[in-house]
Amino acid sequence: MLPIVSLTLFLPLIGALYLMYLRNATADKIHKIAIITSALTLLGSLIMWIRGVSDTGFAQIEQIDWMPSIGAAYRVGVDGISLPLVLLTTFLFLLTFIFSSNVRKQPRTFVVLMLILETAAIGTFTSLDAILFYVFFEVSLVSMYFMIAGWGHEDRQRAALMFFIYTLLGSLPLLLAILGLYLGGDVHTFDMRIWIENPPLEGTAAMLALIAMLFTFAVKIPAFPFHTWLPAAHVQAPAAGSVILAGVMLKFGTYGLVRFSLQMTPDAFREAGIAVLIFGIIAAIYGAFAALAQSDLKRLIAYTSINHMGYIIVGVAIAAITLDPEIRAIALDGSVLQMVSHGLVTGALFFLVGMLQDRAHTRDMAQFGGLLKTTPMLAWFFIVAAFASLGLPGLAHFPAEFQIFLATLREAPWAIIVILGIVITAGLYLKAINQVFLGEVNEKWNTLPDLDKRELLTLSPLLVFIVVLGIAPSWVLAVIHKTTIALAL
Amino acid sequence: MGNDLALMIPEIIVALTAVAALSAEMLHRPRAAYIASICGLALAIVFTFSLVGENAIAFSGTFRIDPLSVWAKLVLLPTTILSLFLVRSELAGSDREGTAYVLVIMTTLASLLLAGVGDSMILVLGILLSSLASFALVAYPRDDAATEASMKFFVFASVTASVMLFGLTYWFGGTGSTLLSELSILEKSPVLAAIGFVAVVIGLGYKIALVPFHFWAPDAYQGAPISVAAYLSVAPKIGGVFAFAQIVRDLPVESGWQWIIAIVAVLTMTLGYLAALVQENIVRLLAYSSVAQAGYFLLGVIAFGPSETITLGYESLIIFAAAYAAMNLGAFAVVMQVGRTREMFKGIGKNAPLMAAAMVMFLISLAGIPPLAGFVGKFLLFGAAMDAGYTWLVVIAILNSVLSLAVYLRIIVPMYQQTDTHSCHALESSLLNSTWIKPVWLTGLFFTVLIGLAAQLLLGKL
Repeated sequence: MLPIVSLTLFLPLIGALYLMYLRNATADKIHKIAIITSALTLLGSLIMWIRGVSDTGFAQIEQIDWMPSIGAAYRVGVDGISLPLVLLTTFLFLLTFIFSSNVRKQPRTFVVLMLILETAAIGTFTSLDAILFYVFFEVSLVSMYFMIAGWGHEDRQRAALMFFIYTLLGSLPLLLAILGLYLGGDVHTFDMRIWIENPPLEGTAAMLALIAMLFTFAVKIPAFPFHTWLPAAHVQAPAAGSVILAGVMLKFGTYGLVRFSLQMTPDAFREAGIAVLIFGIIAAIYGAFAALAQSDLKRLIAYTSINHMGYIIVGVAIAAITLDPEIRAIALDGSVLQMVSHGLVTGALFFLVGMLQDRAHTRDMAQFGGLLKTTPMLAWFFIVAAFASLGLPGLAHFPAEFQIFLATLREAPWAIIVILGIVITAGLYLKAINQVFLGEVNEKWNTLPDLDKRELLTLSPLLVFIVVLGIAPSWVLAVIHKTTIALAL
Repeated sequence: MGNDLALMIPEIIVALTAVAALSAEMLHRPRAAYIASICGLALAIVFTFSLVGENAIAFSGTFRIDPLSVWAKLVLLPTTILSLFLVRSELAGSDREGTAYVLVIMTTLASLLLAGVGDSMILVLGILLSSLASFALVAYPRDDAATEASMKFFVFASVTASVMLFGLTYWFGGTGSTLLSELSILEKSPVLAAIGFVAVVIGLGYKIALVPFHFWAPDAYQGAPISVAAYLSVAPKIGGVFAFAQIVRDLPVESGWQWIIAIVAVLTMTLGYLAALVQENIVRLLAYSSVAQAGYFLLGVIAFGPSETITLGYESLIIFAAAYAAMNLGAFAVVMQVGRTREMFKGIGKNAPLMAAAMVMFLISLAGIPPLAGFVGKFLLFGAAMDAGYTWLVVIAILNSVLSLAVYLRIIVPMYQQTDTHSCHALESSLLNSTWIKPVWLTGLFFTVLIGLAAQLLLGKL
C-alpha cells in the first residue's frame, strides 16, 4: 500500500523544493507548478477520503522512528475529526493557488511559502506525535509571518510582527503541556494515541496542563479576549493569506481543543467545562457585536470568524461536560462540521473581499453602493456566501450550528442564549449587503469589471460545496460520526 | 599512566598543534601556521572518535572522559576549525596573523579541559588559560576600542578569578582534597558547599557571561574582530557550561545549588534579552543574545542533580551545545559578510537571498522555533529542567523565548525592507576575503537543519 498520508503531506514541500531549485522560471510557470502540485495534493487527500477512517481510533497510520531515545517518532494518521479538515485544507489551498495566479511580486517566494504552509497545515491535522504536531504548528506561523510581511497591505510589517509574537507566545504553553504529558506518563513517549488512550496526567497536573493548552488554543482560535491579533493580521494580509488564515489556520485551535484538551485531559476538561462554555458564549456574542461595529468589510468578516469559532468552543465544551455519549457525539459532529463549513464560507467571503479590493482599492463599506448593478456576479456570490455565514438553512453553516445548539439545549439549556449571535450576524450581514451592493449606484464604480475566469474558477467550487454541505451534509457527517460516537472520555 | 595519556590524546594533539603553529609564526610563515592548525585540529577530531562511549577518569580523577568531555571535543574542535576560517578571512595579511591562530587553539584547549574537569585545580587552570588567550585575542586590532575592551575583560577576570580561588579554599578545607568527586562529603556542611559554589558561579559565570558577570562581553565582542567575537561567543561558553555540569554532579543538593543556578538562569535569560532588545549594533545584539542563551544552558545543568534526571541532562546539554555552535557561528559569519549595524542588513533579502535565508534560519533557530536545531536543543533543556522539578523555571524560559523572537525579528525585519542605497555593505564585504566565510555559514546552516530534523543521529550516540 502506498503511504498516501505521507505523500499528501509532503507533496507541497516537494513542490516547494523543486521551485526553489528551478531558477529563472517565469511567473506563469511557477503558478502552474503550484496549481498542479496542490491539485495532486487534493487528489491524495481524496484517496485518503476513499480509504476512510476506522471505527476505533486512528486509521491509515504510517510511522517511522525519528528520535527513539526520547520516544518521538514520525507518526501520521487520520480519524473522523482530522480527515474532513485535511480535505478542507487541500481544497482551499488549490483554490487559493488558482486565485493568486495573478501575483507578480516575487511569485516564486510567495508560492514556496504557500506550499510550505500547506504541508504545515496538513501535518498539523495528521500528526499523531506531539513533537511532530508542534513542529508543523510552528512552521505554519513562520510562513504566515513572511506571507503577511511580504505581500500584505499598508501596515503589514506591524501586523505581521504582532501576529508572529502573539501567536508564538500563544503556542509556547502548549509546549509546556506537551512536556508535562510526556514526563507524566508511565512510558516516556510522545505518541498521541497512547496519551489519548491513557491520559498521563490527573488531578492538579492535568488541570494545569489543560489551562496551558486552553491558552494556546484560545489564542489560535481566537477567543475573546485573546483575539486582538486577528483583525490586524487579517486586514493587512493579502487575500490568499486571509483565506488560509481564516479557513485553515484558525482550525488548528479548534482541532487542538478537541484532540489535545478534550482527548488528553478529559477529566480536567469536564471540571472546567462550564468555564470554557461561558468563554465560548462570550466569544460568539462578542464577535458578533464587534463585527456589527465595523466599517471595513474585511474586518467585519474577521470578527464574524470569532463569532463562528465561538460556537465551536460551545460545542466542544458541551461534549466535555456531558456524560451521555449520544449528546457528546451530536455536539462534536456539529463542531467538526462547523470547522469545515466555516472554512468554506469564510474562505469564499475573503476571496470576494480580495476581489473587491483588487478592483476598488478600498474596503470601506460606506464608499460602495449599488454594486449589484455594476458587478452582478460578484454581488450574488457575496450575497449567497453571506447568507451561508449567517446560518441560513440549506447552506453550509446551518446543519453544523443546528447540531451544536441541539446538544446545548439537551445538556445546558441556559447556554442557548448563544443563539443571540445568529440574530446579530443576520443583522450585520444585511446591513453590509445593503451598503455595498444595494442602494444608490456610486458613479465612481461604474466601470468596475465583473468576475473574470480565474475568479469564477476560484469561487464556483466553493459555492457548490457550500450548498451541497447545506443540503446534504450526511456524507461528511458519516465520517465524523464514526469517530465521535466511539470517543471514550 | 600510559593509559591516562592515551585517553587524553586529543588534548595532547591540540596542545602540540598550538606549539607547531607558534613555531611556524616565529619563522614568519603565517600560512604554514594556519595549515598546521587546521590539520592538527582535524587529527584531534579523528582521534576523538575512538573515545565515543568511553567513561573513564584520567590522572587519578582530575580529568574525566565522559559523554560531556568527549562531545565537547566533537563540537568544539570543528567549531574551532570553522572559526579559524573566519579569522583567516578577517586577519590574513595583518601583522602577527599566526599568533591569532595559536591563541584560538589555546582557548580551545582550555575549554576542552574545562569540559572534562574533575579537580578544582584543573578548573582554575582552564579558566586562566582561556582568559589569558582571550585577552590577547580581543586586543588583537590594537586600536582604542579593542584595548579598552581587553582591559575591561582583564580586570573582570582578575577579580572574579580571585574570588573563585578564595571560595575553592572552603571546599578544600571541607573535603581535604581538590578532587570534585569528593564534594559529596560536604552533605553534612551545606553552608560550606554553598559558599564554595557561589564563588565558582562567580568565576565560571564570568567565563560564560552569566548575568550579573556579563558586562565585559558586549564590549569585548564589539572591540574584537568579528571572527574572534564569533569564536569567543561559542567555544569558551560551551566549555564553561560543561564544567558547571561536571562540578554540580557531585555537589550535594542540600547546598541549594539548584536554586542558585535557577536564579542566575532567570536573571541571565531575562536581562540578556531585554538588553538585546535595544541594540542597534548587530554584534552587540548577538553578544547579548549569547548571554541569554547561556541562561538556557543552565536549565540542562540543573538536571545534573539526582541521578534519575541525569540522562536528559547529558542529552540536552550536548544537543544544545552542538545546535548553539552551529547557529551562533553561522549568524556571526553572516554578520562578517554583511556588516555590523542594522542599517547594513537592509535589503539583503533581495541582494543575497540565500545568505538572507540562512540568516533567518539561524535567528529563528536561536529563538527556538521548530524544526530547527535550536528548538530540539531547547525542548530537551526544558524537559530536563521539568524532570528535575523546576517547571516554574521552564515557564520563565518560555516567556523569554517570546522576548527572544522580538529580539531576532529586529534583524530579520530590515533584511526584507526596501532600500535605496546598497553601497555601504557592498563596500564592507569587498574589504573581506569572503571565499572562506560562505563555507562557514553554509556548514552552520547544514547543521542547524540537520540537528533539527535528525537529532537522533546525535542522541543515538550518547
